[in-house]
Amino acid sequence: MSITKRECVAGALACLWVLGSVGAASAQLELKILAPAAPGGGWDGTARAMQQVLTATGIGKGVQVTNVPGAGGSIGLAQFVNTAKGDPNQLMVNGFVMVGSLISNKSPVTLSMVTPIARLTAEAEVIVVPATSPIQSATDLVAAMKADIAKVTFAGGSAGGVDHILAGLLAGTVGLDGSKVNYVPFSGGGEALAALLSGRVSAGISGWGEFEGQVKAGKLRAIAVTSPERLPGNPTPTLREQGIALDLLNWRSVMAAPGISAEQKKTLSDAIDRMVKSKEWKDILAQRGWDDAYLPEPAFGEFLKNEQGRVEAVLKSVGLVK
Amino acid sequence: MESFYALISGFAVALTAANLLYASIGVLLGTAVGVLPGIGPAVTVALLLPITFKLDPSGSLIMFAGIYYGAMYGGSTTSILINTPGESASMATALQGNLMAKSGRAGPALATSAIGSFFAGLIATAGIAFLAPWMVKFAVQFGPEDYFALMVVAFVTVSATFGDSPLKGLISLFCGLALGLIGIDKLTGQSRLTFGLPELLDGVEVTTLAVGLFAIGEAMFVVSRRRSVEEIMPMTGSLWMSKADWKRSWKPWLRGTLFGFPIGALPAGGAEIPTFLSYSTEKRLSKHPEEWDTIGAIEGVAGPEAANNASVAGTLVPLLSLGLPTSATAAILLAGFQQFGLNPGPLLFAEKPDLVWGLIASLFIANAMLVVLNLPLVGIWVKLLKIPTPWLYAGILMFAAMGSIATKGSIAELLMLLVFGVLGFLMRRYDYPVAPMVVGLILGPMAESQFRRALQISIGDPLVLVQSPIAATLLGIAFLALVAPFIAGGLSRFKAQED
Amino acid sequence: MSLSTSAPKGRDKPAIIVGFLLLALAGVLWSDAVNLSRVAAYGIGPAVMPKMIAGGLVLLGLLSILSGLRQNGKAPEPADFGPVGILVIGFLLLTAIIGFGGGFIAGMAVLFAITAFAFGRRAPLVDLALGLVLSALIYLLFSKLLTLSLPQGPLERLFS
Repeated sequence: MSITKRECVAGALACLWVLGSVGAASAQLELKILAPAAPGGGWDGTARAMQQVLTATGIGKGVQVTNVPGAGGSIGLAQFVNTAKGDPNQLMVNGFVMVGSLISNKSPVTLSMVTPIARLTAEAEVIVVPATSPIQSATDLVAAMKADIAKVTFAGGSAGGVDHILAGLLAGTVGLDGSKVNYVPFSGGGEALAALLSGRVSAGISGWGEFEGQVKAGKLRAIAVTSPERLPGNPTPTLREQGIALDLLNWRSVMAAPGISAEQKKTLSDAIDRMVKSKEWKDILAQRGWDDAYLPEPAFGEFLKNEQGRVEAVLKSVGLVK
Repeated sequence: MESFYALISGFAVALTAANLLYASIGVLLGTAVGVLPGIGPAVTVALLLPITFKLDPSGSLIMFAGIYYGAMYGGSTTSILINTPGESASMATALQGNLMAKSGRAGPALATSAIGSFFAGLIATAGIAFLAPWMVKFAVQFGPEDYFALMVVAFVTVSATFGDSPLKGLISLFCGLALGLIGIDKLTGQSRLTFGLPELLDGVEVTTLAVGLFAIGEAMFVVSRRRSVEEIMPMTGSLWMSKADWKRSWKPWLRGTLFGFPIGALPAGGAEIPTFLSYSTEKRLSKHPEEWDTIGAIEGVAGPEAANNASVAGTLVPLLSLGLPTSATAAILLAGFQQFGLNPGPLLFAEKPDLVWGLIASLFIANAMLVVLNLPLVGIWVKLLKIPTPWLYAGILMFAAMGSIATKGSIAELLMLLVFGVLGFLMRRYDYPVAPMVVGLILGPMAESQFRRALQISIGDPLVLVQSPIAATLLGIAFLALVAPFIAGGLSRFKAQED
Repeated sequence: MSLSTSAPKGRDKPAIIVGFLLLALAGVLWSDAVNLSRVAAYGIGPAVMPKMIAGGLVLLGLLSILSGLRQNGKAPEPADFGPVGILVIGFLLLTAIIGFGGGFIAGMAVLFAITAFAFGRRAPLVDLALGLVLSALIYLLFSKLLTLSLPQGPLERLFS
């Protein structure tokens, strides 16, 4: 009995799903997108959003998303490099965090083995302090770090992740020893927020979305964003405005398989270009609160190389990589 | 009083036909995926997120709440029937629940878990409605040193799962602690005990160990004795709870709720610790200690199940009132809120009262729907045990493997499952308890991280561990719990001499 | 394995073996811990906890060996290792089928049939068919409703 009921629900939902993905056009690509993370995370979300848009716009058909989670994306990348070689119909989503985790996990496969296509989205990082903190600006924060670096505790996400890298870069940029930064990694955003709200740590680092509610409620003070320009509708000053020559974006991008021809690369790049410029993609960005950071080839490849160099240097300076 | 009126208007929102439909779809889906090991509510909600975007915000959030609660009900069913805990929080339920099922009392075990979950969900949801602002102030004050003290309390309770040999129990616990070391160290990002294998970087999944040791290990144990032992699981006794069962269940439900709700509301509290605490409390207070190692005690199912469900409701406290996601599912729910441009947090109650109170009201409704759905299902589930043994175990192994394949899809994960299965078989054969190993894997890494985090924030000052009043109180409780049995033992001996 | 020959009656051999295994495990933990680079600038580093656990394992290992030498082991009940081996083979086959691209449905069906065989059923074809039906249903539920990606093989492609 219960099975039939369940199947009805399944059917109903499947219909909803199908309804959302009507549309057809010529020269459709049969794409497979690999998300090197478990269902539910940011990369998975990006892959599924691409699937939705590519199907709805008719750029692709039968687009499939595969999840290969593990080790900050290293396992997914390894599988992609090994099994997708030369296949012009496979894509992989990745991002800034993977650059770091590949280095700190001493991964045998690297991002230079795959074919870059484009950067898609980016989120600025924000540095916050508890509302009661005497620290009012990034300048104050740096002054406090210079006075006693051990006493300035940073709460953020996992060790070697984007939050940690920002703390290391900040110390390096103002001439402090990155390995002395007192960075405390927390497993979930909730725990780090609680540590900030109770005033246990001096400052917090995360994506803007994570702290937005608390900042608006006046419980936390945002002292700097890491984007090159101020965020739209957000009065928080950038690090650069405060005399710290540093910007950092937590970006997500899409890659193609290793060993594809220049022509195949162009086909994929064009498809992604059409996807990014579609109304459906813009709608999804607005829904999810993602910022458009589209950067096609060859600029993206250059950008990627730069990021790799910068991340490797900072991971060395904080002592994560020898 | 103000909350009360708000709640009434919340019911007005939740009781519209459309929202009732979403709630019922949610609980059905939740129950269905909760039954499948490895596919927890977090994954389900994440995958359904794009679909629900087409619904209106309150409708889809109500559906998510239904999934969330439904998955918790479903998880206990597999624990009891086939000893396959779908998530780490159902492990404690599996211990006594499966013993009961094997001795022919699956019906009462399922019933006490369903009614207990309902009862706990009811109290805890009321707690969200009326205590949230006050609780959240307390919860935020919890720092790493306090969590560490809480883990110490939980560790003290582990002995409840040891069986009759403390040495064997400790060996099992320490092997679990050792397994917990595998993977990337959370505080420094270095890999420990990974032997260069990237598959080990994320550590050992709790469900992989639990399913391997419990379900697969047991299947091997049963098949190894197939010729010498009679067929198992005769269905005897009543399908429903007897008067005595009710009498033995209601206090554990209440105590479980009292453990689950506040700890669930803590940002790093989780559902595991309250279930362990409830389990060991019930074992200590039990008037039928002889049942715990033989036919299964109903208190050991009622308490942890109530604790599990109450903690689920507890995680909604910081989510709704502060926007703090304290579990994977809560994080996804938060993403769901944000998808509709809503920011849970201090302002949400003020800005969108109809939505928040509609959600809280629909939690009550989801809860009621679940108990209505699950009690009749008890009869069907119990019939599953009448499937011929070969098919039953073949199905169990399929279920066990499925969780690993569906979430990870990796060969390494399947091989790990097999290794843990063989380990579970050997441990059963030589009388080593398996539960402490899982407890060690769950608590070890949590305790280590909080301990080191506390020391890092205090820049190495160990006094921080006892200076906080919360930590000091908890450590005091742990100490008392540790020495109380000895004192009680001494007293009774003393009394015996006096007589 | 000199234990099996030298241990006289009245000893608990499994406990002694477990003791030695624990000592070996402690050794593994310790050697891994000392090879960690010390990066924690504040508080305690990543090597402390493994060393403490290794210490506990050494203690427990010695206690286990001692208790094994002192007291009689309870002889475990007679057991059939054949069916256990069959279960292990079934599981390995599942892993191999998925590893070599045979897909979810085929792998699960084989696991089902072999497990039923290990538990004494002698109708492998019926069981295989039953396993196929069950795993196909599960596959549809997972991949179509939840859009989870399960291992693909020839059978799965029929559904897409």
